[in-house]
Amino acid sequence: MTPVRLFGYTDRISVKPGETIQFHVSAEGTDTAEAQLVRLIHGDQNPSGPGFVEEEVACTANGRWRVERQFTQVGSFLEVDDPEARLAFTNSFTLFAFVHPTWPASGKRQTIIGRWDGDRKQGYGIGIDEKGYLQFWSGRGEEIERLTATVPLQVQMWYFVAVTFDAETRRTTLHQVGVGNRYNGLLGKVALVDYESRSSATFRSMPGNLASTPFLMAGSRSRDAQQRACVSELYWGKIDRCGAFGQALQSAELDTIRSELVPTMDSLVAYWDTSAGYTDRGIGDVVVDVGRYKLNARGYNRPVRGQTGWNWDGFTDCFRLAPQEFGGIEFHADALTDCNWKATETVVLPHGLKSGCYAMRLRSGWGKSVSEEHVVFFVRPRRPRARIAFLFPTLTYLAFANERLSFDHPEREALTGQSAVLSDIDIEMYMRNDFGLSTYDMHADGNGVCYSSYHRPVMNMRPRYRMPSLDVASGLAADLSIIAWLDHSGFEYEVLTDEDLHRDGSEALSPYACVISGSRPEYYTEQMLDATEDYIAGGGRYIYAGGNGFNATAGIRDGEPWIMECRRRDDGYKPWVSRYGEHYMATDGMRGGPWKVLGRATQKLVGIGLSSSGGGRSELYRRMPDSYHRTVSWITKGVDGEIIGDAGLANDGAAGLALDYYDRALGTPPHTKIIASSGGHTDSYVVNQQLVLYSYLGLYGSYDWRVHADMTYFTAPHGGAVFACGSVAFAQSLPINNFRNNASRVLGNVVEAFAGAGRLPGFAWVNEEKQWA
Amino acid sequence: MLPLEYDRSEDRDIIVRDRFDGFRREYLRTLVNPEVIEEHRQSALGQHSEKLERLLIYFRQRPLEQRYAVRAIEPFRRYQVVRLSGRRGVPPRLVDGAIYTSANDARHGLFLRCIRDLLET
Repeated sequence: MTPVRLFGYTDRISVKPGETIQFHVSAEGTDTAEAQLVRLIHGDQNPSGPGFVEEEVACTANGRWRVERQFTQVGSFLEVDDPEARLAFTNSFTLFAFVHPTWPASGKRQTIIGRWDGDRKQGYGIGIDEKGYLQFWSGRGEEIERLTATVPLQVQMWYFVAVTFDAETRRTTLHQVGVGNRYNGLLGKVALVDYESRSSATFRSMPGNLASTPFLMAGSRSRDAQQRACVSELYWGKIDRCGAFGQALQSAELDTIRSELVPTMDSLVAYWDTSAGYTDRGIGDVVVDVGRYKLNARGYNRPVRGQTGWNWDGFTDCFRLAPQEFGGIEFHADALTDCNWKATETVVLPHGLKSGCYAMRLRSGWGKSVSEEHVVFFVRPRRPRARIAFLFPTLTYLAFANERLSFDHPEREALTGQSAVLSDIDIEMYMRNDFGLSTYDMHADGNGVCYSSYHRPVMNMRPRYRMPSLDVASGLAADLSIIAWLDHSGFEYEVLTDEDLHRDGSEALSPYACVISGSRPEYYTEQMLDATEDYIAGGGRYIYAGGNGFNATAGIRDGEPWIMECRRRDDGYKPWVSRYGEHYMATDGMRGGPWKVLGRATQKLVGIGLSSSGGGRSELYRRMPDSYHRTVSWITKGVDGEIIGDAGLANDGAAGLALDYYDRALGTPPHTKIIASSGGHTDSYVVNQQLVLYSYLGLYGSYDWRVHADMTYFTAPHGGAVFACGSVAFAQSLPINNFRNNASRVLGNVVEAFAGAGRLPGFAWVNEEKQWA
Repeated sequence: MLPLEYDRSEDRDIIVRDRFDGFRREYLRTLVNPEVIEEHRQSALGQHSEKLERLLIYFRQRPLEQRYAVRAIEPFRRYQVVRLSGRRGVPPRLVDGAIYTSANDARHGLFLRCIRDLLET
């Protein structure tokens, strides 16, 4: 019997009361589920806190839903729009492509380009066989004729490949020529490798031409177990310019194409100039056929564009500078940016819904086999009214969505200093290939995943989720500790998400006197960073309630906020690194990597920035001399003694996981006060790579003073101010002792002051001699 | 990066790595004593003595398929020790029937397995 499983996602994650939201659900082992709208209040099950808390909310959609198993097409590919079937050859033809396989000997067949239906054995294709050899094949419905190259394709090397088919003689020739240069591939000229092959055969028949077969790049037509059309034989690697002719070209003509000249012969049927249509602000999903028939191709599961091409000579590192050298489109058979499931229910949200984090809770099954799923979304107010806003760092949730570092990344355990603690959902996620990867993972061909999406179930954007490599609640489950604290403290607040900030800019924040960040607001687009800076400079009061914030660049395409892009480079923490020349985001042309390298260190925005990170025991803060200063002593009012945050749900302390510190050399505003600092961190905490020029023994917690968190405060223009807590674990110290603790008291003092209508406390103390209490 | 799974039969540096590991294990075996094991039992995630840290650093650097992890059967209540597959899509396998009532106890059970592997190879 199939175990009962329920998985779901929404069409959008930021909605307002009264608006419509679609739920896409896939079910296994059941055809019904009980739906209940809930508001999520606390997400960490740790028994030292309030535990998991949700509140059921009345909604017309509550009740029994019909659910079914839905199909997910995994893998990126391009489909050519060919309504007149010009690529269904009835006479001689030639196909050619520049290709750069990243996993040729994958053990599975791969189609590079072709009009091939593998189930019906109809059509033709150029691809790679199970052993990593280039192959051309064709069929008319019965047997498949194949022509294979004589030498295997080398991984991460560029080739020009072509097949010519003479309809009269049925003579078929397969060409393979290496086009590697000093920069564009894995191996140099010194490697003794045979790249060239030319093989010929006389085929018995012309390829067949089913009307239903699409011309695809990086895959071919197939059917799943239910006979639904899908794409399989997916390709791992890059494809650059490619095309087709309605004649069998001669070798000299193929040489012309290989010499970088755009083919002009009358017999040209299609020529996909993969670098056409680039702009400085991004590249779309349509690959342009510059031939006469305009047989454009559209990307599925977002093939990675703007990659270095076969003719890249290494002089420029960005597609904006020499687009013609960046025609590489990269495909992965395990890419997923949209499950494309049918909508299970379309729900009109109640008009009176309080702003907050919500989920449609779905349940099915009995006893121990109950399956429960929380499909999470965020409700903004219809019109902002509260003085406080909590900003859910949804872009960071997306970056980590469905990460499997504990299973796959050889360095993860060394980085966290502890063994992974895996839950059943982690193991299930690892076993399945239909929920996609995170931007922390690598595709199976070893290349980093640069797109993540919420149009798929996101297992770690759920309450109760614990990150296995750190064994703490993380992401949403951790941020809900701030929501529970706001609720418990009686503050009126509203919520918004990163995608609102990206879209609306500082207008998303300006209605609020005080904005509170999440515990790890790590990934920021330029628009989001600008909006935050403008908000603070314009008099906004910002609480950076975490650590490792504003650190990494990210991209969101207008109108498609469910997909984020991430490229990795330079000296920041990174689970993988983009290849040289591929550091710029196809989404918006921005350079990927840490913001610090681009002149926007976190210290410039909020006073502190990443000093170190690690796992294991967290530490506490001790008050620093500045905290007694009359301009800021209100922050620690009511704190008994020197210690702040000596307990927490994240390893028993408020300073842990990732720590931020004050650094004037990185742009901390000159008048910033250090309210409290942590210390005594274990050697699992290592100085941020971005702060050192060399690696050496002693960059660890008990050796290097920089391994600590600073809690800071500074006033900004027009009555603005920033309070920074200094650590990812800080938020998880709030719920300790039913929210009665020093960390909670400090944050309460700040929120109360920031949300107040008047000037900030301490403003009247201006003369230096009067400033110490 | 090369594919996560590729034919390593031609990788000559595996011999170098194995030789290094052999020397390393020989030395690490001399560090194992009741004090080190007791230190870990008391503080699996704290600051460690040099001897214990050296052992832990080695365990954390083992190839993925030789690595252990803790499985939370029921968070904060019941845990087991499992061994990673090192192969995407293949789940970890259970190493024995021992059930631990805290993550820290399970971490120590995992540590003892690593020590046993070290002493036996």
